[in-house]
Amino acid sequence: MDNKASKYLFIVLTVICAVLIVLSSIETRAFDPVRNAVGYVLVPIQNGVNAAGTSIYNGIEEFKRLKGVDAENEELKAQVASLSEENNRLKTETEELARLRELYELDGEYLEYPKVAARVIAKDSNKWFQVFRIDKGSADGIEVDMNVLSGGGLIGIVTDVGANYATVRSIIDDESSVAAMSQHSFDNCFVNGDLELYEQGLLRLEDIDKNASLSDGDAIVTSNISSKYLPGILIGYASDISVDSQQLTMSGYLIPAADFDDLQEVLVITRTKSEYGITDYSSEASAEVVY
Amino acid sequence: MKLKKNLKRIGVYAGLILAAFLIQTSVFPLMTIFSSVPNLLLILTFSLGFIYGSMTGMLCGFFAGLLLDLFYTGPFGFYCLIYMALGYLNGIFSRYYYDDFISLPLIMCAANELIYNLYIFLFRFLFRGKTDIIFYFTDIILPELLFSLLITLLIYRIFLKVGKKLDSMEQRRGQNVA
Repeated sequence: MDNKASKYLFIVLTVICAVLIVLSSIETRAFDPVRNAVGYVLVPIQNGVNAAGTSIYNGIEEFKRLKGVDAENEELKAQVASLSEENNRLKTETEELARLRELYELDGEYLEYPKVAARVIAKDSNKWFQVFRIDKGSADGIEVDMNVLSGGGLIGIVTDVGANYATVRSIIDDESSVAAMSQHSFDNCFVNGDLELYEQGLLRLEDIDKNASLSDGDAIVTSNISSKYLPGILIGYASDISVDSQQLTMSGYLIPAADFDDLQEVLVITRTKSEYGITDYSSEASAEVVY
Repeated sequence: MKLKKNLKRIGVYAGLILAAFLIQTSVFPLMTIFSSVPNLLLILTFSLGFIYGSMTGMLCGFFAGLLLDLFYTGPFGFYCLIYMALGYLNGIFSRYYYDDFISLPLIMCAANELIYNLYIFLFRFLFRGKTDIIFYFTDIILPELLFSLLITLLIYRIFLKVGKKLDSMEQRRGQNVA
């Protein structure tokens, strides 16, 4: 009796799941209200659990750190001396830069994107996907497609937003693809996440024109033809660039600027690319595969 | 009476699923020193299915998967389907379940991990032309499988104890009523 009932229920639930998968594949935003509603309950709990875990973790780390602190102190004192000297020099250079920028009438808008800091409260511990959740949501002005940074480099993009949380997909996720360019030569390329490569701390750098003057060590930044990423954000540095077997394109690896292990805090740029109203690149943007 | 009994059980299972989910997503990621972590939700689903049968396993799997589907942005129902199916399948084997027989649960754990990870590989990686199964197996599937086996060894007995306690509490209450 129980066997039969569970068999029928199994068939019913399988059909329900299949229908849900098909529905949500067609209309990707269909389940946002459900996710949002559950988020109201779940996110505060995740927040608490994470905060408790983080404080324990930091306590252990601090204990470890104390051991090496003396030697580090000496080292830092020396560093402070050299840095303060460097700082003086840079101050003068900054003034010079400001003057030069005025001269060139550079559009400063992109250089100072408005940002919001957020804490990482949950992450997929399963290694297949590189997705995490932050404690800021639509109530703090976060929207889908906003860019996420940390440690001076691009981390990922917001893929889903609830009132009090947002889900971010890292650029190291296997399904991530970012339209990028060389900061130096403006040659276009794609930075693709690759699970296999990330084990070695690298990303894939692909679709570089054969005649491009992009070379090892070049800074790679988000491209202005990308439909979702704001231009000029540092992603990392090119390495091992070589011509592909078909002799049409070049590819290589990218060493990311941001540190993806041990992510605790991130910055979200609270402007999306579409808000900046860049429409003149739309033809190129539609051809790219930025998810 | 029966409803009340079931409610208590449902409450305990729901608590376990929620705790496993929270540890999995909010505590494990902090432990960056480990190369991999066990899949607690999967262990919970197959243990409950194996001990209490298809119906319990299936429903627990369904809700465990639901939590993951709510957490991710991808196709909704992807995790529900596999967790529910695994819960159901493990329930079929519950007729071979004996209290102190630990080797079968360990074999089941390994089999469940393999099926679950192959499912992800097939639909999310092979589907996009990523074919290097040997790498995925040695670097992702195998470490997770080993950690899960270890945890199964440790907490399977705890599940059994909780289950027995619930059983005996229900029995006592039944006697009182009688």
